[in-house]
Amino acid sequence: MTATRLLPTVHAPRLIARVMAIFTALVGLLHTGVAGAVPSFARQTGMACASCHTVFPELTHFGRMFKAGGYVIDNLKQVKDVSLERRENLSLSDLPPLSLMIQVSDTQLAKPLPDTAKAAGSAQNGTVAFPQQVSIFYAGKIAPHVGAFLQLTYANDSGTIGIDNVDLRYADMRVLPNDQSLVYGVSLNNNPTVQDLWNSTPAFGFPFVSSNSALGIPYATQIDGSRGQDVAGISAYVFWKESVYAELGVYRSAKQGTAGPLDSTSAGGVLATPAPYWRVAYETNQGPHSLMLGTYGMSFQLYPDLAGCPSCNPPTTTGYGNLLGGPSDRFRDVAFDLQYQFLSEPHTASVMATHIHETQTLNASVLAGAAQRLDNTLTTSRVTATYYYKRQMGGSLNAFSTTGTQDDLYIATTTHAPDTRGVTAELSYLPWLNTKISLQYTAYTKYAGLKQNYDGLGRNASDNNSLYVVAWLAY
Amino acid sequence: MTCDLKLPINARCRASIPRWRVSALLLTTVLLLPATHAWSDGAPNAVQHLAVGVCATCHGARGISNLPKIPVLAGQSEAYLTAQLHAFKTQTRGDADAIGYMWGMAADLTDEQILNLSHYYATAAAPAQTHASSRQTVMAQITLGHDIYAQGIVERGVPACRACHGPEAHGLGDFPRLAGQHAAYITKQLLAFQNTTRDVAVMHAVTTTLQRAEMTAVATYLQSLP
Repeated sequence: MTATRLLPTVHAPRLIARVMAIFTALVGLLHTGVAGAVPSFARQTGMACASCHTVFPELTHFGRMFKAGGYVIDNLKQVKDVSLERRENLSLSDLPPLSLMIQVSDTQLAKPLPDTAKAAGSAQNGTVAFPQQVSIFYAGKIAPHVGAFLQLTYANDSGTIGIDNVDLRYADMRVLPNDQSLVYGVSLNNNPTVQDLWNSTPAFGFPFVSSNSALGIPYATQIDGSRGQDVAGISAYVFWKESVYAELGVYRSAKQGTAGPLDSTSAGGVLATPAPYWRVAYETNQGPHSLMLGTYGMSFQLYPDLAGCPSCNPPTTTGYGNLLGGPSDRFRDVAFDLQYQFLSEPHTASVMATHIHETQTLNASVLAGAAQRLDNTLTTSRVTATYYYKRQMGGSLNAFSTTGTQDDLYIATTTHAPDTRGVTAELSYLPWLNTKISLQYTAYTKYAGLKQNYDGLGRNASDNNSLYVVAWLAY
Repeated sequence: MTCDLKLPINARCRASIPRWRVSALLLTTVLLLPATHAWSDGAPNAVQHLAVGVCATCHGARGISNLPKIPVLAGQSEAYLTAQLHAFKTQTRGDADAIGYMWGMAADLTDEQILNLSHYYATAAAPAQTHASSRQTVMAQITLGHDIYAQGIVERGVPACRACHGPEAHGLGDFPRLAGQHAAYITKQLLAFQNTTRDVAVMHAVTTTLQRAEMTAVATYLQSLP
């Protein structure tokens, strides 16, 4: 799932190649569709979507506990086998937990993008995506204590079917004194934060769906979707009294579409060492109110991607060209997040916020001539407020901001600054609980460092404003 | 192991174990601790495990829910709980939340589990008396609610609730305990009886002429009871 629209033409052809590579990697990843609500969970539990979701895919407290518990609560007849000691060796549902999701969309930009090949031309405005994305899920119980959320996706921009978010879990529970619970488990997944229980973290955060033919935020921190489906990680977690959550994990590169072992031809950044992940959160639930305060983070040691690097010695135009050895770049991401939910009838409301600060130490990139500064930072903040009436009609207002260090070599935009900010407003209507029709408008007040003429060719930040209509069906 | 001879003796050498490995070791230790503690109490009871691991997420620890729309189960009549779980399982209780939540939850419960769960919650300590708001409107609701509960509304043929639910609303046999129950839940049930989405003939007759404000008053009064 990669975006095909790139920044307007800049003068150096090699720089274009680099811009293309960066945008394809980063913007495309940001446009990866989020899908965390699947009807197979409803079929398995026999419970309506509203048990686990305010409005899909945002989770309620029960939904968080269902996920922490390994997706295994089931109320269907099971094919079972037990040992002589009555230990369950097998517990298979009569109904395989399969689901299908379809997203169909149309995107209109404030000003058409330049043609990617002919300098004088413009791209057609108004992009219909039919479908934008089709996903098949295996989401549910696999065995006693073991469950899966496994997504295969066809996307119109790549035109291929590929692995999407995966979260395989083992979980169990201990009864504590006073009949409190301690849930613990292990997650094997391919996208840092996809295993998280709250919607304030990147993988299942707002916007839950966005256009793949509009320009997204050009630079993202590593934990903010940049390594989705590009790594594999295992993490262990505890959830004490349904209130205090702690998780530790470690990730390693697990590239798709690249034969192993990884070497200098492997696309994108490759992790030089296992990347540790951590998460701590405190949730309190009082009546209709639910509040979570948390922190999460990750440390990456990456071999740089030197594709299309005109400033490198020697310059590169194609391929990746970096030996998987020697110095690497370090990215330390520390984030804080908050989620508040008000669940009542007929009103539901929520506020989600996250602030991610990334410290970059670009040893390898500076040495290769791909970065000017050794120490850079990149900071992203997002706040989203959502309201729904009868879980049927509602909307969200989201403000986003990314700021960072200007670097004439590392940031491949005309301004060499990543700074981008704006707002997204979304109106949604759900005729049925598994069907959502949304109208989403995104407005940029700054794009790639400037409000006006950010590309040196007269394109303003507001020219990237987009109107996006999407129908999202899950069955 | 890496050593720096320029440093003091006790700081010269340190194990070159990556920090993440140390963290993983610590987490493993943390994970093992609660397991050890739990098993020291003896093998966990299956019904307790079910109640704590599944039911408690909505109904709270030992059946004291803090969500207004989710009923308190602690101290509830055992016979009533058994009847309701069977009604969910057989899909004969049809109010909205019963369909959305409990039909699925109860679908696979065995008769033994239903009996054991009913006993578990019936023997749990009922919630302590909640502190009712001293606001005048709330006090007026409690007074009106008490009058309806104790005497009914004679001119409209609404019988006194206490006749079946007991003088202190602690329930009796198939008639549920109402004292300490969430007002929002009771109101919702009274509406469901009235519009027959929860189809119980006796309660439909009782609620037919009951007005919304009167339902709220009775519910507020019942929530304030110990």
